Amino acid sequence: MLYRRRKLDLPHGKVQTPVLFPVRNIGKRSSDNTPAYVGTIPDFSTAMINARSIRNREPMWNRLTNGVTLREEMDVPEDTIVFADSGGFDFTAEEIDTTPAETLDTQAQLGADIYGTVDVPLSRENRAAENQRRIDQSVEYALEASDRHTGDALLFASVHGYDPETIRNSIQHLEKNGDFDGYALGSMVPIRTDYKKVTKLVLSARQATDKHLHVYGLGGIVYQPLLLYLGVDSFDSSAFIRSAGNRNYLIPGFGGEPLRNIESLDRLPCPCPVCGQRELDEIREDRTALTKHNLWALAIELRRFRYVVEAGRDVEEYLDLRFQGNEVTRRAYETAKQQVRRLT
Amino acid sequence: MSNAFTISDEQQDYSQYDLNANPFPYSPVPNENPEIYCGQQHVSDKISSTVSSMLATGKSKHLVVTGKYGNGKSHTLKYTRSLLRDREDVVVGYVAQPGDGFLDIYHEFVYDLGFNRIQELAYEYLASVTRDVTDTNPMGAESMESLIDEGDVLLSDIVPEAIRRLSDVTKFADFARAIVHMVYEDTNLYAWQWLTAEGIRYEQRKEMEIHSALDDDTMGVRAFTAFKNMLLDLGYTGVFVFVDEFESIARLTPKNEQATLNSIRHLMDQNSSGLCILFGCAPEVWQDVMSEYHAFSERIGQEVSLRPLTSEHLYELVENYLDKERPSTVESRIRPFTEESLDLILQRSQGNVRQVLALCSRILDDAANENRQEITVDFVEEAI
Repeated sequence: MLYRRRKLDLPHGKVQTPVLFPVRNIGKRSSDNTPAYVGTIPDFSTAMINARSIRNREPMWNRLTNGVTLREEMDVPEDTIVFADSGGFDFTAEEIDTTPAETLDTQAQLGADIYGTVDVPLSRENRAAENQRRIDQSVEYALEASDRHTGDALLFASVHGYDPETIRNSIQHLEKNGDFDGYALGSMVPIRTDYKKVTKLVLSARQATDKHLHVYGLGGIVYQPLLLYLGVDSFDSSAFIRSAGNRNYLIPGFGGEPLRNIESLDRLPCPCPVCGQRELDEIREDRTALTKHNLWALAIELRRFRYVVEAGRDVEEYLDLRFQGNEVTRRAYETAKQQVRRLT
Repeated sequence: MSNAFTISDEQQDYSQYDLNANPFPYSPVPNENPEIYCGQQHVSDKISSTVSSMLATGKSKHLVVTGKYGNGKSHTLKYTRSLLRDREDVVVGYVAQPGDGFLDIYHEFVYDLGFNRIQELAYEYLASVTRDVTDTNPMGAESMESLIDEGDVLLSDIVPEAIRRLSDVTKFADFARAIVHMVYEDTNLYAWQWLTAEGIRYEQRKEMEIHSALDDDTMGVRAFTAFKNMLLDLGYTGVFVFVDEFESIARLTPKNEQATLNSIRHLMDQNSSGLCILFGCAPEVWQDVMSEYHAFSERIGQEVSLRPLTSEHLYELVENYLDKERPSTVESRIRPFTEESLDLILQRSQGNVRQVLALCSRILDDAANENRQEITVDFVEEAI
């Protein structure tokens, strides 16, 4: 097993890894639909934000440049740990409208603790040559950011690739030519249903560096234990919001369940502060409650894994059980297990 | 329980003949890397001349080695191959028999080179591109691999350029992509399967952006030519192909036989430089090819025949084999055989090398079993 625990010393405080950065929609929509969770769910004093979206939302950006802090704008305590990515995911379809320098300025203005470098994500639909160009461009942006970066915030180079060689090669190249505190693996969302491939890619990144490894966009309830097992230090996810939007109820150990499939139940199986005292009908009516529960589900998933490790239980046995219900994820886990065993 | 068999791993003692072991093969099939080649000076001269011309001028040249079964065609081809393999400026492939058509010849050729060699060539190609587009100077496959692993060069910098150049050189973009995919652990087995013409699924091809299937003789000729052109671009002098048991094309239907010969002819036509094909063929089939398929046989132009062994060749052959297991020099180098006993072996085997070796092996064992000091004519007669 490659699972590891570390401590990140950041401008706004310390954080224990592995950790989830719940995605905050601030800047992406006219109103942030991420429910308040900092202070309510003690595991998550962290947030992932999109620096580009915030900068591009003029009224908000004006407030932020006129004395309002990001944390005030988000209505979270000042010691909330913020990871600001470049908003590169939007460049999958849109033209790049920022530079490494501008993104660094934005991230600094926001008082982020971790900066993700500007990146141009890949798509399986792209021609290989186009993806190669994007990989090249992301590496170039990362190196430029490394040259310009100052201050205490950590700089994570965004890395892309759909094969292990490219991932390893890019990380080694960045390691040699830049100065990064960690690496953030991107472009995984478009291939997230190919668990085997994602597993291989994550593992290749883990092998290539001992530094902090973040995986963009894959912190959902199914991926979380897999990523923890593969030694990923942090991940972010908006799955709790998206699932709630689809009236999907996340259950640790089981994945997502459409509420319509269980509507005959009075009470839900989770004893979290959201579900414990309420009936199913109440939660179904209240999307914010469902979103909060889903985030609790992610917290429970993370706690369980930590418990299994700390209690000295057999993690692989736990994951054997955890993944036995789904043939696809079970096969991906079996592949990961074989690869991890060769490394440990 | 029956004791009909006595099985033991005890070694026979040959010390009375100043031998460490019986040097003759029990089953006389050609070694993969033969060490001995004797006699047949006209054959070695002809092969040397063909091979040397190609090496010296770069112009393609081909040769047919004919000879009856057991006269040493395979041995001759494999011996030549083992000599050429030591050279770093050529690529050598052996095709045990032509199969059902040119695609099988191509498949066997690539298989003989092996996955590692093809992967090495892919790295060599990346190295040549890297030298041109970066400040680094990888001089071979190993240093290229290390530059990639260490992150000294960026794959995304060199791969698009490598595919572009190799497509230009080979005029076969799919081939170029397959070669480059040999360096990716996720796809190198698919790339290998495509390059060997084994056939891969559409989804596997799609992953490498390979559009065509390598599944007929025409594509085989195209891939082979692309491969050779890649080698020339890398600075290799050329490719040597040894096609053994060429007589087996006679078992094909006339239509398939003609198609196979036509494909080989096309291959020769498309490769006026850097290609040397040596065929091993039974004489009667070669006669038929000569008379019926002029267009093909004319392109080869040269034939050399392996003849039955003479007494002198046989003495030399036996000496060479015995010397392999002889710790010290002895007075009579064919001991325990005598010239007379070898003459009888030659007569009985009608000069056929395979039979000679089989007989020598068996008779030497019999002599050792019976504790004979010498293998006389009488003993040979008895043993045969």
